[in-house]
Amino acid sequence: METSFSHLDGLEQFWDGATEGKLTLRKCDDCDKLYFYPRQLCPMCGSASTQWVVTSGRGSVYAHSIVRRSRRLAATAIIELEEGPRIPTALVNCDVHQVQIGDTVEVSFQQKKDALPSLAFTTTAAQEARAYSETAQTSSTSIPGIEPGDHTADYTQAAVIGAGRMGAGISTALLLADIPVILIDQDPDALNGAREGIISLLEVSVSKGKLTEQQASQCLANLNTDTQMQAISGADLVIEAVYEQMGLKKTIFAEMDKFAPKGATLATNTSTLDIDEIAAVTDRPGSVIGLHFFSPAHVMKLLEVVRGRETKGETIARAMKLGTRIRKVPVLVGVCYGFVGNRLLLAREKQAGKLLLEGALPDQVDRVLREFGLPMGTFELQDMAGGIELDYRSRQESGEKDFVIDELFAKGRLGQKTGKGYYSYEANSRKPRLDNEAISVFEAASAHYGIQRREISDQEIQDRLILLMVNEAAKLIEEGIVVRPSDIDVVWQFGYGWPNWKGGPVYWADRFGLSEIHARLSRLELACGDEFTPAALLSRLAVEGGTLGSATPGNST
Amino acid sequence: MLGDSTSSYIVGAFEHPTRRADGVSTARLHAEVAQGALADCGLSLDDVDGYFCGSDAPGHGPLLIAEYIGLRNLKYIDSTETGGSSYLLHVEHAVQAIAQGRCNVALITMADRPIAGNAGHSIAGVDFSASPDLPFMPPVPFAPVYGYAMVAKRHMHEFGTTSEQLAWVKVAASHHAQHNENARLRQVVDVEDVLNSPMVADPLHRLDCCVVTDGGGAIVIARKEIAESLNRPRVRVAGTGSALHHNNGGWFDPLTSAGVASGRTAFEEAGVTPRDIRYASIYDSFTITVLIQLEDLGFCDKGTGGRFVADGNLISGVGRMPINTDGGGLCNNHPGNKGGMTKLLEAVRQCRGEAHPEVQVKNHDWVLAHGTGGIMPGAHAAGTVILAAG
Repeated sequence: METSFSHLDGLEQFWDGATEGKLTLRKCDDCDKLYFYPRQLCPMCGSASTQWVVTSGRGSVYAHSIVRRSRRLAATAIIELEEGPRIPTALVNCDVHQVQIGDTVEVSFQQKKDALPSLAFTTTAAQEARAYSETAQTSSTSIPGIEPGDHTADYTQAAVIGAGRMGAGISTALLLADIPVILIDQDPDALNGAREGIISLLEVSVSKGKLTEQQASQCLANLNTDTQMQAISGADLVIEAVYEQMGLKKTIFAEMDKFAPKGATLATNTSTLDIDEIAAVTDRPGSVIGLHFFSPAHVMKLLEVVRGRETKGETIARAMKLGTRIRKVPVLVGVCYGFVGNRLLLAREKQAGKLLLEGALPDQVDRVLREFGLPMGTFELQDMAGGIELDYRSRQESGEKDFVIDELFAKGRLGQKTGKGYYSYEANSRKPRLDNEAISVFEAASAHYGIQRREISDQEIQDRLILLMVNEAAKLIEEGIVVRPSDIDVVWQFGYGWPNWKGGPVYWADRFGLSEIHARLSRLELACGDEFTPAALLSRLAVEGGTLGSATPGNST
Repeated sequence: MLGDSTSSYIVGAFEHPTRRADGVSTARLHAEVAQGALADCGLSLDDVDGYFCGSDAPGHGPLLIAEYIGLRNLKYIDSTETGGSSYLLHVEHAVQAIAQGRCNVALITMADRPIAGNAGHSIAGVDFSASPDLPFMPPVPFAPVYGYAMVAKRHMHEFGTTSEQLAWVKVAASHHAQHNENARLRQVVDVEDVLNSPMVADPLHRLDCCVVTDGGGAIVIARKEIAESLNRPRVRVAGTGSALHHNNGGWFDPLTSAGVASGRTAFEEAGVTPRDIRYASIYDSFTITVLIQLEDLGFCDKGTGGRFVADGNLISGVGRMPINTDGGGLCNNHPGNKGGMTKLLEAVRQCRGEAHPEVQVKNHDWVLAHGTGGIMPGAHAAGTVILAAG
């Protein structure tokens, strides 16, 4: 049976236009009206004399409603075109929760593989944010004072220390860019496991048609494993990817320094630790750098390149070049707790934990974040990434307590991998569900800390999580952790899924209005404490005007 | 034996009590409602010489179901399908067929089982796969609620209509449904309950949406002489109208339905105005559907529907314009996702004076049943039927 009749009725001109993103309508020669979709006669006057015309593709929202059944955030909409006709269609790739009747839109056909494009529209605001995002990404690789150029030496042999999930992912990313890798771990079983993991990742790429069989076997031929640190003696790049613990990292770096050839870059994949402290155990702090990959490392586009106090320009240039070569988006950042991405994330997670104690439940918090436009809420993200276990283990040395996380951990609620965490999950399902055991943990925690649970509005949740991130971003700028403000947005887009149609925390804040943000932060400071004290830079801009996006990093006054 | 088109009577009416038909076929439901409506008026299967059904009739139009029901003397058949309004159009066509002498006793059946059959909100027997606008459909899942949600959103934007006002439509339905022992939802709700129910498609909440049920109903229409021989209160079909509304290639008003045209025709034929109507069955797939149709039929001006439905004005014994006193599609029954038949059934009960005493309107000389089939603001078809007692 024929299921598509695109080849019928002479509609080629419409679909050819659609493939180029152009909206083609039919125009009546007799009554001059434009109409959609093609039919035998003009629907207005009945004339048979009609012809194709290309329209502006611009219009405004006449009415809309958010589609909750779609995995993608989308809205059905009636668009009133500049030329007059109204089209029942969809709004995609834009901030559908903020869309208002009258907002300007432009056509945005959804191109599909092996199928006709679907007519859809996107908002002008989203289109502007996407243009900004493109510029931000392009400029993030240029570092003042450091000339990237052909003279910057490519790495020819890498070594990765630690055959865990991260080590295997980083190795895969390197192998896929034709960089030979020696993977090193004391544990031969871990090495075997990592090799098998890499093989299956490559197989998936082959089955998806992203890699030929020949390329996959070339990748594997480039992979060697070893249990001895001496094996790094031929590497010009050594990346440490062991457990996040300062003592362990220092020991490993001392060995790396001992066995790596002169001129080799020594990199750490730490996500929070002080790189200057690590570099200090080597005789070559100028060659020590942070390469902060995001899990899964062969997939995630973001690479935070962390510059230490002593890191030489040449080391930075080589690392940035490597980032581009392995098809990542490298962003240069300075040393601070959590660097750029995790500093904002951890601040948000900590605040979300407080909201739980005060009376919010994870599904409300996550819904607010998703409605804001983020792909995932903070608790579902922690359940997916194993955040409960990471947080629990990170506190065992210091003995610091956290009632909620300690209780969840004690109940075996480690996240998706154990079927329950903040939420519970049915077998083979990633759909988070609230359950009574978790709720009773949150309620017990409130009682434990003597906090009266209350209803918390969506707006308060959004302000306490998003404005906190904006404030943290302002501090990153004034502390000079980033080269340029837009780098924060690049980090959040490529590392945490902040949608390009919303720019990033800096772009969003500038459009929302810094004086309003400052006023809200000041109110939150009174109500909730000094974690909301507005950054000096924000206070200044709120009074003087100006934007975070055009602020000069390292200059708060 | 020719008559004019206003001398036919609805003599039999029956609503299937089921709301979930596990273990019963759709064909069996059609047969049961046919027997129920014939028993109501004291006619037999052999008296039926005209048969009308929509696409919910299993098989192939009337071809197989008529035999299954046991209709052996058919001279006239019609399987007009316009979605939920189909059965209102069937009344129009049956009256015309009787007036032309093509048949004497017309039977209309409707039944389906989307719940037991796990069919969701689809319409049985309707296939959109070759519809001419299919390649131009948006790349998102689409359901009727999204269309009506956009209508509601725009109505709010243009006229200041509020969610509270829409909620009153549901509140009225629930006040009526408490007296209907077969109603799917019998609990009385208030405006807050509606606003606090989960958002389905903004601005419509779950309680702004009709129920999904199995079941059905049937109507028997007969020529005047036959109606006079039966021992039932008389319900004359005084006026009918139907109309189609399309997208017009983009030149359409999403806030106006085909009810403007179908209503005008029916009122003209019946020789009455909206002010003469003391009870109306108004299609209630969603609360906004009611509001738009009340405006389009002339019960209130365009844009004033929000104020018109608020504060209990639709509640029998309380307001000036009681509607859907069985609980409507919002609370009682919306079998097969097609509410036209149940609209007719409650209109017949009211016209006969046989509605539940708690909801029966006092002056029931003129009542109206109206439905919209298809999805606003897109292509849809409306049917209006005006009934006169006596």
